[in-house]
Amino acid sequence: MIFLKIALKNLKRHRTRSLLALFGIATSVAVLFSILSFNKGFEKGLAKELERTGIHFMVVPSGCAHEVASLVLHGSIIPKFINMAVMEKINNLSGIEFSSPILVAQLPNPKEGRVDLVYGLEMSRVAQLKPHWLIEGTIPKDDHEIIVGAEIADHQGLRIGDSVEYPNVNTTFKVSGILKKTGTQDDAFIYMPVKTAQAVFKKPFGATAIGVKVKDPAALTGITDDLAERVPGIQIVTMNQVMSSISTLAASAKVLSLSIAIIAIVVSAVGVMNAMLMAVFERTQEIGMMRAIGASRADVFRIIMKEGMLLSLAGGLAGILVSVAGNDLIEVFVRKVMPYAPAGNMAGFDTTIALASLSFALFVGVLSGLYPAWKASRIHPIEAIKG
Amino acid sequence: MIELRDIEKVYRRGAEELHALKGVGMEIKRGEFISIVGPSGSGKSSLLHILGCLDRPTTGSMKFDNVNVEHMSEAELDAIRRKKIGFVFQQFYLMPGLSVFDNVTLPKVFSKEKIDREKAGALIEMVGLGNRVEHFPNQLSGGEMQRVAIARALVNDPEVVLADEPTGNLDSENSEKIFELLKSLHMKGYTIVMVTHNNNLAQRADRVITIRDGRIQ
Repeated sequence: MIFLKIALKNLKRHRTRSLLALFGIATSVAVLFSILSFNKGFEKGLAKELERTGIHFMVVPSGCAHEVASLVLHGSIIPKFINMAVMEKINNLSGIEFSSPILVAQLPNPKEGRVDLVYGLEMSRVAQLKPHWLIEGTIPKDDHEIIVGAEIADHQGLRIGDSVEYPNVNTTFKVSGILKKTGTQDDAFIYMPVKTAQAVFKKPFGATAIGVKVKDPAALTGITDDLAERVPGIQIVTMNQVMSSISTLAASAKVLSLSIAIIAIVVSAVGVMNAMLMAVFERTQEIGMMRAIGASRADVFRIIMKEGMLLSLAGGLAGILVSVAGNDLIEVFVRKVMPYAPAGNMAGFDTTIALASLSFALFVGVLSGLYPAWKASRIHPIEAIKG
Repeated sequence: MIELRDIEKVYRRGAEELHALKGVGMEIKRGEFISIVGPSGSGKSSLLHILGCLDRPTTGSMKFDNVNVEHMSEAELDAIRRKKIGFVFQQFYLMPGLSVFDNVTLPKVFSKEKIDREKAGALIEMVGLGNRVEHFPNQLSGGEMQRVAIARALVNDPEVVLADEPTGNLDSENSEKIFELLKSLHMKGYTIVMVTHNNNLAQRADRVITIRDGRIQ
């Protein structure tokens, strides 16, 4: 207890120096904590998002595996199409609950001076394909009715009943429903019946992908193997594969960001070591006095180690607090460097990660305290009586 | 109690050899009040280091309570300092963040012994700081800080109190008071060894040891 008091007081004696060292630790722990939180949130968010798609696998033209990941999460445009005749073969397999075609394409909107993203799907399947959707208004019943995503509705000031004109394809649509903000890429699409989309894009039997839901997820492998054998020229991508391929893509970003955090921590550890070494040198006589009045080398070692640990623990705590407080700002940054960042608030506060970051800070404190503490323990007691 | 025989202390600085003590022999008996005087560079500090078990002689022998200490390990010397010697320093060296009470009982922390609050309180009372127990060093005058240091030197019931220029940083009035305090400890039976530049105070000890060029005169 007294050792702790001494250590604390020593840190306070060199307030600026201690604060600077603490700031270094806090910054690097904040980065580490944020990255770990995001990594965890990323996996969770991804799993949640995939779960939301309401299907078990997708059938796409062969050679489009990565595009499927994009399709699922970003709604990207796949330049190849699959013939809807495949659906029949899929439906003939046993254990299929349903299959549903999806057609994604771009449609110029000269009035707004932009290109709209169109997502064609079977309106009767909306509840199954997009179970999390909240729609204001109604699901289109007519061929020329559409649902618009929240972003589009906001941006173009669309309301239910409004008309949207696409002169390039000579078609006018009526907004029957507005999708409430989902926080995902879904907000940026215009949804229309897949048959209309096929007609508009002149692909009467084309689909970007066919989403399939099976009755029993445990039988998934058997079904996909069976399908691959029967239908050549297609590629089957399960949601698990999508998840793992996205995770692989994200892995390098994670490694990079973690490396940055580790380097930051090493630099701040050097800062702590430097601050403590200076403090030890300045206190040579005082430490000599402690040795003279009976402190063993181990006692001195312990006092200095406590300083390093206090400094790094305080820094670690401050870092976590800063990270939690600046969560949103950091999230914006992480979204820029991470591919396929899932929607929603990724970095929630996670006690395990907080404790792990704190332990790591403590570990760094111990490491950076070792040398100064050893140096201090070598100070000779005669330093107290020199001259 | 302490017996020095043919003590030599040689310091090496590169190729240069510094002969700080040249065959010193002396004895300190229990209950004595001794002052050690000598010009700077005379070997005064080296003698104090050896008396205080802070350093080992190059050659010669030293007995503390009839036990030879010249070949003891550092840890053994730590233990002797803890149990048998109380130090008072010129710069007081109180721990700035600790109260008077915590400073006085610091040696107990190092000796891993239970703190006897009553006894520590009595010591603080004895050095005249009974009303300052919870004060911090920065709230004390120089003379008061040295009193705290003296109480700290006594807390482990040492055989001998070694005071290195205890009045060196004090004005004459406070010097006198500190000297009187040491003198009163002597009256109570403590063995006191005081190194000083102050000839006037030195002459008032029971015995004055003068050292010059590494030899006792």
